[in-house]
Amino acid sequence: MSKVMLEVNGLTTKYITRFREDVYAVDHVTLKVEEGKSLGIAGESGCGKSTLALSLMGYYFAPLHYTCGDIIIDGKNISGMNPDKNISGMNPDVVRKTILGTEISYIPQAAMNALNPTQKIINLVEDVIKAHDPKVSKKEIRDLARERFETLGLPQEVLEKYAVELSGGMKQRTVIAVSVILLPKVLIADEPSSALDVTSQKMVIKMLRDLMEKGFIKSMIFITHELPLLYNVTNDIMVMYAGQIVEKGNAKETVFDPLHPYSKGLMGSIIVPESGLRDVKLAAIPGVPPNLKKPPEGCRFAERCKLVRPECKVHSVEYRTLESGRGYRCIFSEAQLREAYKNG
Amino acid sequence: MKGYRKYFANKLLWFLVTLVAAFILNFTLPRLMPGDPVAGIVARLAQGMTNTSGIQAIYQQYADLFGTNKPLVAQFFIYMKNVIHGDFGFSFSQYPRTVADVLKSAIWWTICLQFPAIIVGWIIGNTLGALAAYLKKGFDKVLMPVSIFVSNFPFFGMAVIMLVIFGVWLKWFPTSSGYGFDLIPNFSFKFIWSVFIHYQLPFWSLVLIAIGGQAIGMRSMSIYELNADYVKYSRFLGIKDWKIIGYVFRNAMLPQITGLALSIGTMVGGALIAEIVFSYPGLGVTLLHGVMGQDYPLISASTLIITLMVLSANFIIEILYGIIDPRIKAAQAD
Amino acid sequence: MKNTLQQVFHSGKFLVGFCIFVGLLLFVFIYPLLIKGPPLQIISQGTFFPPGTYVNVYDSLSSPSYILNLDDAAAKRIASKLNEDDRSAMKDWLVAFGIPDSQIDTSDTKSLIDLWTANFDPKLQLEGYTNAKRNYYVRLNKNLAGLLSTEGAIIAVKNNDTGILEETNTVAQTDYVNVNEVANVRVLPLGTDNFGRDVLTELVKATVVSLKLGIIAGIIATVIGLALGLLAGYIGGRVDDVIMFFTNLVLVIPQIVLLILISFSIGQEKRGVTTIAIVIGLTSWVWTAKAVRSQVISLRNRDHVNLSKLSGHSIVHIITNDILPYIASYVVMAMILQISAAILAEANLSLLGLGPRTTDVPTLGLMMNWAMIYQAHVLGKWWAYMPVLLVIAMITFSMNLMNTGLDHVFNPALRD
Repeated sequence: MSKVMLEVNGLTTKYITRFREDVYAVDHVTLKVEEGKSLGIAGESGCGKSTLALSLMGYYFAPLHYTCGDIIIDGKNISGMNPDKNISGMNPDVVRKTILGTEISYIPQAAMNALNPTQKIINLVEDVIKAHDPKVSKKEIRDLARERFETLGLPQEVLEKYAVELSGGMKQRTVIAVSVILLPKVLIADEPSSALDVTSQKMVIKMLRDLMEKGFIKSMIFITHELPLLYNVTNDIMVMYAGQIVEKGNAKETVFDPLHPYSKGLMGSIIVPESGLRDVKLAAIPGVPPNLKKPPEGCRFAERCKLVRPECKVHSVEYRTLESGRGYRCIFSEAQLREAYKNG
Repeated sequence: MKGYRKYFANKLLWFLVTLVAAFILNFTLPRLMPGDPVAGIVARLAQGMTNTSGIQAIYQQYADLFGTNKPLVAQFFIYMKNVIHGDFGFSFSQYPRTVADVLKSAIWWTICLQFPAIIVGWIIGNTLGALAAYLKKGFDKVLMPVSIFVSNFPFFGMAVIMLVIFGVWLKWFPTSSGYGFDLIPNFSFKFIWSVFIHYQLPFWSLVLIAIGGQAIGMRSMSIYELNADYVKYSRFLGIKDWKIIGYVFRNAMLPQITGLALSIGTMVGGALIAEIVFSYPGLGVTLLHGVMGQDYPLISASTLIITLMVLSANFIIEILYGIIDPRIKAAQAD
Repeated sequence: MKNTLQQVFHSGKFLVGFCIFVGLLLFVFIYPLLIKGPPLQIISQGTFFPPGTYVNVYDSLSSPSYILNLDDAAAKRIASKLNEDDRSAMKDWLVAFGIPDSQIDTSDTKSLIDLWTANFDPKLQLEGYTNAKRNYYVRLNKNLAGLLSTEGAIIAVKNNDTGILEETNTVAQTDYVNVNEVANVRVLPLGTDNFGRDVLTELVKATVVSLKLGIIAGIIATVIGLALGLLAGYIGGRVDDVIMFFTNLVLVIPQIVLLILISFSIGQEKRGVTTIAIVIGLTSWVWTAKAVRSQVISLRNRDHVNLSKLSGHSIVHIITNDILPYIASYVVMAMILQISAAILAEANLSLLGLGPRTTDVPTLGLMMNWAMIYQAHVLGKWWAYMPVLLVIAMITFSMNLMNTGLDHVFNPALRD
């Protein structure tokens, strides 16, 4: 049993809207990522996966608020961490120095816009490293940066350039390199390839795999709305819907043999997805996710589910865990679901 | 510095082009209008319709200097030649002073008043705007409405109010001219002090209005930048807040510099009027006297000088921007 | 459209600006209905009468009089004649005379006067007092004597035949007239200006004229800016380059310079309000053109435009049907700003003496100009320029508020 790098228990975070309503964007999420493994999180836009990522990074700025739950990185409990205020008894500076960037790091969505337009890449690297260890000399930083970039397949000239001079794919890979400069234990990649062309996408995914294989990062969370993409990238997959986890399992079984009706719908008519290709698009599931200001009683997917029964809308649905380790959230048993799918 | 060559050359070219355009406009506009003043001068000359022989002489001198009986194009070149020599002819209303003489004394007052005021106003305004964006809540709620109101106040309005409050009611400062009536310009301490005192009211009026305009812009830019993605990303990487704030304001400042260049024309215009309110011995009052005295050479030369001042300021600011924005340098290096 | 209107009127800033502006308009249009009388009519002899209610003295003599016994009438009468300076002077004299400081209270009129009448001796030579000062005290004493009497005034008319003054009437100190019964009363809420005109009436008229000027200039500037912006933005290429070059030129040259040159050269006779408005409009289209152009550029590659192109519609058709509706909001905002800028430009011009002709109608700028020339600000005659200033400020302020409000509605990205 390898070490658990990231453990999240019942994490719940909410948005407080202008009208003082609570929107639970992340509702009692529980997950585990082991050393050397990666977890993919899939779901529609608005299902809460990005909010989950922000919550893990401690990005609690109004209107986002932490409610309850644990986040444990390699044994360290960083729940409720907030780089600005002293929540959970942790001094913000301490948080900054010891956790952000070193224990857990983040690659933002559309990373191309995440670079300061008037700053050279090497200066950004200097800032990051110095924020954690002020004593490191500029020369040491430069050497480290050069070496790291070379290992990751990025040309050295990039360091001396400004963001505007790099192509989209290059920017994305640069951001990834910068995010892991401190060798974090957990890397969260939020839609790292969504805004890129096919070739760049392949390069990004290869880079992320390299990072794992070469040990630069110990575990990874890969967030995307393209479920089939995860097959060749991550070990385990977790599907989210309306703030809740609706299915979890290893990549193969989740992609080829999904249990939850939603996952099934996401897979559409795919038979054999090829690695990295975007030809297979999500099959559109008619309807829209529920309004989280007033979560429906009962199953949140009931409105759009093909297998819906009256009971679905009445009781809230518990998350079931099977012996194989898989889990899903539905009132039907495994056997019932397979039966229903066989009949089309 | 080599990298800047293309950028500088570009800006310099533009500066020269606008300069030429300014000359052409200054020359042709009056002559195109229904009440063409130059034609008027020529007409009066030709018909000998003048009040005194003195005025006749002035018109004659003007006609000789600028060759008003020659074809238009030839006149233009004569005009250019004269301007380069600094020869604008005699002032109609202040004969026997030459226009150049009148301008020489006025121009320094204006430059020394307006440009420091605009710059100081710009700096203070941007700082306040940045603070408002950063501190939010209390400070912002007060600053915003005040800035909006002040920035919409006409220049001369602020000048009048400052004059009335501080000059007439409180009697803290003198209400007119550049220095005491009884003093002759010299380098004595008394004179310099008098100049300083007379400088205060016009200076602070201009600064206040400049602040209002800048604060709002900087605040919007800062808010925009503070919400930018790179701010979030830098935080996630563990970079300290104050460092990030430094970057934010540096980035927000850049468009402000460009904005300053664009608005210098308007500001100078308003400031000239403010000078009139204070009877400050600068170009504003010169223009006023010129208008009252139907003194075409004076007006024409004044407007030309004002345009040149604005164009030069514009040019300098553009060059400064090229130096400050690191991306310009980078774009040249390829 | 209805939805947009709803949103617009919900915006706080817009509403405030709108209310101020409409309030101003209402006042300006209703006032002339109530107070008739040409605005430029000179009604006073002498300059800068302070604001107040002016009662015809002659008529009040012949109006029915009423007797009112008010306790403080006498004190008020004396107080109005004895100002602070006089009181302190009296105190000084008394102290020099030998009365202890503590016994003298300058705010208690009665006791002060009692002390004074008891002790003052015009023949007494106090140390250190110059002749002039002594004469001052003598005069002061004489004035006081008149104040303290309780007799009324006598009205006498000269008999044309005998040349002797014959008493016709007495006015007692307790006689009051009802202002409503006096034949000639004129309320001048803002006094008169340097020429002797009623400032409020003049101001109302000036506001109307200035607004008219602003609207004309605004329309011209917006039309030109719109046309050039559309052409430059939509056609692009060479046309864009040429227009942009020309625009940037006009941008850098200060508008005031152009205005001065044109205005001066047109000459005094031809400078009517409309002419000035046209001139201002012709020199201020630059920002509108730029804004329209950038909007059009971002629009021209949108799907619906491409669709139109493919359908073979003419350029004019595409511009009017596919692009104009989307930039309508920007045009409205630009127009509002142009109007307020035009009014300011006219004020600037007038202060230089290059504004519209002065004999027909007043404008806000002209009123400022007159006040400045006649040194109203230095003389403390605030009513000649402060109201004008406030009106200008209110117009620009309300228009800018409306513009900011509209901006928030149409550009949600700016909402904080």
